[in-house]
Amino acid sequence: MAAVTTVLIVDDSRLSRMMIRTFISNAHPDWSIVEASNGQEALEKTAACPVHVMTIDLNMPGIDGLTLATQLREHHPTAHMSLITANIQDSVRQRAAAAGVRFIPKPVTEEHILAFLAGMETRHD
Amino acid sequence: MISLTELQRDAFTELLNIGMGRAAAALSEMVSEEVMLSVPFVDFMSRHDASALIQEKGSERIMAVSQAFSGLFWGDTMLVFPETKSLELVRSFIQESFPLEDMTEMEQEAFMEIGNIILNSCIGSIANMLHQEVSSSLPSLWRGACTDILGGQHASDTDDVVMFLRMDFSLQERSIDGYVMFIIDGNAIAALQASIDEFLSHV
Repeated sequence: MAAVTTVLIVDDSRLSRMMIRTFISNAHPDWSIVEASNGQEALEKTAACPVHVMTIDLNMPGIDGLTLATQLREHHPTAHMSLITANIQDSVRQRAAAAGVRFIPKPVTEEHILAFLAGMETRHD
Repeated sequence: MISLTELQRDAFTELLNIGMGRAAAALSEMVSEEVMLSVPFVDFMSRHDASALIQEKGSERIMAVSQAFSGLFWGDTMLVFPETKSLELVRSFIQESFPLEDMTEMEQEAFMEIGNIILNSCIGSIANMLHQEVSSSLPSLWRGACTDILGGQHASDTDDVVMFLRMDFSLQERSIDGYVMFIIDGNAIAALQASIDEFLSHV
């Protein structure tokens, strides 16, 4: 039997976490979802468990999203990651691409989340 | 007394965050440089305290563009820079388009246009997310002591409690820091709360 897919949602906005959780749960009700409101909490909550999918806000108190992605990558090298941010500048998109992280602009939509998850399924097939 | 639920406060903050993300992208295009954004700040305070908070940043003399907005919610929004830095920003924006001798004439107009683009990007994206139409007044230019400017617009109600939303940004290559703030009074906050609740009911 396949292991449960675990998703990490990191965002200091509870509203954004709710939206992302809803979109993912609608598509994959059996997936396990872990939420964190900042980078430190994300690192602590995922230190001892495998995580397969991560959505990470950029602009948060403490560790910024791209730095966090790099740190999480060390522990979860195969995780499918996306930055989800209101900062839609080209320079941010480029830094995300250079870090091997997808980019989803806010406000987050179900369409973007489904496309991101479809990319993961394609990659793993 | 104004009170927000934790989720309403979170939603206000996130809407500002998204609005400023759009505005920063517009500013970045105008000045060909990345714009760094702070974490948004939302709180309730008197106009007097809001002014004091701004001065803590060391910006006694400022240059600002303000616009009133109206619709299902309403208030004032303002783009603020320290006075000296604002001229650097304007010059970086218009240097390729206008000869130096015309710069002084163009400075005010260019600064108003920067403000107009940034403030409308921010307000427009918030309105879109809430499925509301919000219209803006023509931009007004302010230059002087920040207490005069903030107090000057609404001198009669400086003790009223307002919602103060603020997000700082910086252009690192040019060492220019500025911020956008919204000031929304009690009745408008109630209207905005209703819009937010309607938005949240669909999440």
